[in-house]
Amino acid sequence: MLKFNYFMIYNNGKITSINKEDLVYNLKENISRVESFEQLKKLYREYFEKEGLIRKLFNEIKDLSKEEKRKIAPIVQEFQKIAIKLFEEKEIELKNTQFRKELTKGAENLGYNISKVGHLHPITQTIRALNKIFIEMGYSILDGPEIETDEYCFRRLNVPKNHPAMDMQDTIYINEPNILLRTQTSSIEARLLEKYSPPLKVVCPGRVYRNEKPNKSNHFIFHHYQGVVVAREISLKDLFGTITYLFKNIYGSNVKIRFRNKYYPEVEPGIGPDMECFNCKGRGCPICKGVGWIEMGGAGIIHPNILKMAGIDNKKWRGFAFGLGLDRWVMAKYNITDIRTLLGGNLGYKYYENENII
Amino acid sequence: MKILYSQIKELVPGLKKDPKKVSEILTLIGFMRDGFDKVRYQNRNDYLLSFEIRQNRPDCLSVIGLAKEVAAYYGLKVKMPRIFPAPSYGTKKLDIKVNAKNCVKRILAVEIKNLTNKESPKWLKEFLSLYEINSINLLVDLSNYVMILTGYPSHLLDLDKINGTLCWSLNNDFKEITTLDGSKVKLKKGELIIKDNKNILALAGIVGGKIAAIDFNSKSIIAEMAVYDSFVVRKNSRDLKITTEASNRLGKDLDPRGSEFAFKLLISLIIKNCKGKIESELFDFYLDKNIIKPIKFDPRLSGLYAGVDILKSKSLKILKNLGFEVKPLKDIFFVKPPVGRTDISLTEDLIEEILRMYGYDKIPKDKIPKLEIVKNITPKNIYLAEKIRDILSYSGFDEILSCPLTKKGDNLKFNYLNWEIISTQNSVNEEYPDLRQSMAVGLVNQLNEYLKKGVRYVRIFEIGKIFGKKGNNYKEEEMLGVLMHIFSDDKSLPLFKEVIERLLRTIGFNEIYYLDSEIKPEIANPYSCWDIKIKEETVGIIYKLKPLYLKQNTYFSEINLGKIVKLLEKTYYNPAVELSSKLVVLDANVEIKNDKSIDDYLKKIRKKIKEKNIWTIEVVDRFLLKEKIRYTIRVSYKNLSDKEAKKIHLEAFGLSQRSSEAEQGFRKAQVVGSNPTAGLSK
Repeated sequence: MLKFNYFMIYNNGKITSINKEDLVYNLKENISRVESFEQLKKLYREYFEKEGLIRKLFNEIKDLSKEEKRKIAPIVQEFQKIAIKLFEEKEIELKNTQFRKELTKGAENLGYNISKVGHLHPITQTIRALNKIFIEMGYSILDGPEIETDEYCFRRLNVPKNHPAMDMQDTIYINEPNILLRTQTSSIEARLLEKYSPPLKVVCPGRVYRNEKPNKSNHFIFHHYQGVVVAREISLKDLFGTITYLFKNIYGSNVKIRFRNKYYPEVEPGIGPDMECFNCKGRGCPICKGVGWIEMGGAGIIHPNILKMAGIDNKKWRGFAFGLGLDRWVMAKYNITDIRTLLGGNLGYKYYENENII
Repeated sequence: MKILYSQIKELVPGLKKDPKKVSEILTLIGFMRDGFDKVRYQNRNDYLLSFEIRQNRPDCLSVIGLAKEVAAYYGLKVKMPRIFPAPSYGTKKLDIKVNAKNCVKRILAVEIKNLTNKESPKWLKEFLSLYEINSINLLVDLSNYVMILTGYPSHLLDLDKINGTLCWSLNNDFKEITTLDGSKVKLKKGELIIKDNKNILALAGIVGGKIAAIDFNSKSIIAEMAVYDSFVVRKNSRDLKITTEASNRLGKDLDPRGSEFAFKLLISLIIKNCKGKIESELFDFYLDKNIIKPIKFDPRLSGLYAGVDILKSKSLKILKNLGFEVKPLKDIFFVKPPVGRTDISLTEDLIEEILRMYGYDKIPKDKIPKLEIVKNITPKNIYLAEKIRDILSYSGFDEILSCPLTKKGDNLKFNYLNWEIISTQNSVNEEYPDLRQSMAVGLVNQLNEYLKKGVRYVRIFEIGKIFGKKGNNYKEEEMLGVLMHIFSDDKSLPLFKEVIERLLRTIGFNEIYYLDSEIKPEIANPYSCWDIKIKEETVGIIYKLKPLYLKQNTYFSEINLGKIVKLLEKTYYNPAVELSSKLVVLDANVEIKNDKSIDDYLKKIRKKIKEKNIWTIEVVDRFLLKEKIRYTIRVSYKNLSDKEAKKIHLEAFGLSQRSSEAEQGFRKAQVVGSNPTAGLSK
């Protein structure tokens, strides 16, 4: 129980004066020592409850004369006001402190775990990058069967039986000579032309198979990116423009490209697009085998026999096609030195890093 | 094909361009340069240029052929080698038979006697060495020289070593031939050969035999130059695994018309250098003298194909420079290809000739074409595969690609479908002849490789094809394979299942069930192997593998994307709901016999409750009894009052209103947690 007698003066048991400043000071001292709601409640009782100081003072004032009341009452009222304010402020302070304590208690560390991220295969990433360019130009994306027939892999692509061009692609057979693993994604082109009527704009990324012993730079399984357009007035200018646009998107606007005549049975005229060697800038080096240019694939105006076999009138419609070998693009971009890495085994992904997604 | 710069200049005297420029031009017009070497030839500095020759231009597997290309480009004349002395034929009839008429296009042959064979002069040896051909003796070297110059191989046989009739036929009798270099080559049957009455003398179009080989003592010879059905030579060359300069040329469509000049040149060189006299008349077996019909050609097409204007006069000039015979008639040309150009038969062939000589570099390459808008025909499985890749990679899985050809026996471990193995007949690696029947093959191989390399996080997937045969039908299915490997023996199948199911739900499915697999792959733990079903369709499989590594667990799932696409076309869920009232969550305990499927039970409940009333139905607890399992099923009802929800709940689960909560196991959930597995007993 606190003692307050020091702050009041009594005469014959009647209160004659109150030292308000000291009372307030004393209250402030008492409140400053409060550290909990319980303590605050207890202190509050000492001032405001039945036996509390302020109630007691009001009771004592009752017995004073009018004149004495006029002198003492305002002091008591003033003190009550101040006391209430101080208690309220203390309550707020205690609430804040408690809230901070709870926050501190409930606070968590970030920890040291790093999220493992998943990755897409470099071939997928490259196909996506190419697809994006062509989708923006209004192309569709198609695939086709990997087990193909001689009909769609060769005949319908202007490679008749016994044609020397068949030697260009050694074939893996399931049932020679008719059932085989497709040697080029042009087989999708053959199916596309049979199934759909022009006009057409399609790209066909896909896996192909050739009977070649694998080594660092060649594999019997690799990936092609084929494009086919059939429309009314197609020219080499359109084909060159498309390929140039593609290369510039992939390699930057300063890339140097040339187009030379090249033979493929599926096209006439045939084109070989080359890119200036990024390593020697055309001077010749081991990467480009001294040529100064890197072969990027093949292209040309679709051979009229192919359109004819598909039932398309080649007087009304003309088309171009191109095929790019994807694996070397991928190897160059991802610094992969052995083509066999792309098909399992040695291709690993850093756990916590990924490519820029935009 | 190699060619000396000096030889080009000799054949094209007007040429002023340097060898680098010449090689660049040949590259652009269709012959990719693959070599450029400074050499010494006949005591002078020279350049040996090397080019890839197109499959359909055997005429350019010759010095003259390439020189003609250079001359045509620059509009210059070609000075052909002089045939001097002109051959003077005798009267003797050669004893030659051609049995395999279908395989032979033309044979030119003569008999020459009183020859003096000797060592070749230095210039000839030096020339042949540039082509990596060893000098043998003058006669043989001249034959090789003419081959390189003209593109037409020839064959000289020592007449004194020939017995009787020289015959071209398909092999039926001989099991072996010893070739010129002494190698013994085993024969089957059906190869095109040259024989006499006793011996096999040559593999026609490929290589001569040792028996009638020319040596320094040879005084009398039969010189023959033949052009064959190129397919026969190619096939024989491939089957016997012999490739020679001769077979490389004769395995392509050489023009029989061109052999006449080449043969005369050969004979004149033999007579000039080895003396001798032509005893026989010229033997000329030439059945099918194809009369070349002129091609009707509209020169405007060149410009249309190029996308730039090309003058008619320019087209005419180019064709004439190339040796084409052109008869203009009004706006049309009638064009006959020159000797050697067996690749020209169509208008488009002529267009290519004009454009490649006009120069592709003159056609603009920076104009993005304005092509018409066309219908999008991209099939849905392409979009689906891309979405799946993203979903899985965002879930922390890495994409791999693996080889679809597998070791013999692997398919027996991994297959779970009702079909047969497809094997290749000539796989590159004989140990890997079969096409995979499950994506698990490649993913498990990748796992093994990663573990060898110390990779400590293996969650991988692959989208690819699996293959199988049913009767005569070859099938391939596009599949997603997912593998998760845990480096402890923690049982993580529910975690793996969550990944797979989250994937399926994200792509738009809701009714996903699991049934004990009908066919279990050998590699699977048979007690942890389920078919994944969506509605009534089996779309895939999920299983725990038998232990591959001590105290580590591996899980695999495979989903048929073709089936998924078909199902998605018939599926539409709208998960976005306007909530008009609080969700009412009610539980029910049900007991199901051990051999019955909780999924089937839940299907029935869903039907009874009706989709429009359901927010979720979850199994939140499971308790094993003797012959039954007690499941606690929690149903969250949407947009229903408490009373309405209760009524439906009671009816659906067959619960009585009057029964006590304790007896019926009917209780309201206290708190709806966000963890759907809250309260799930282990």
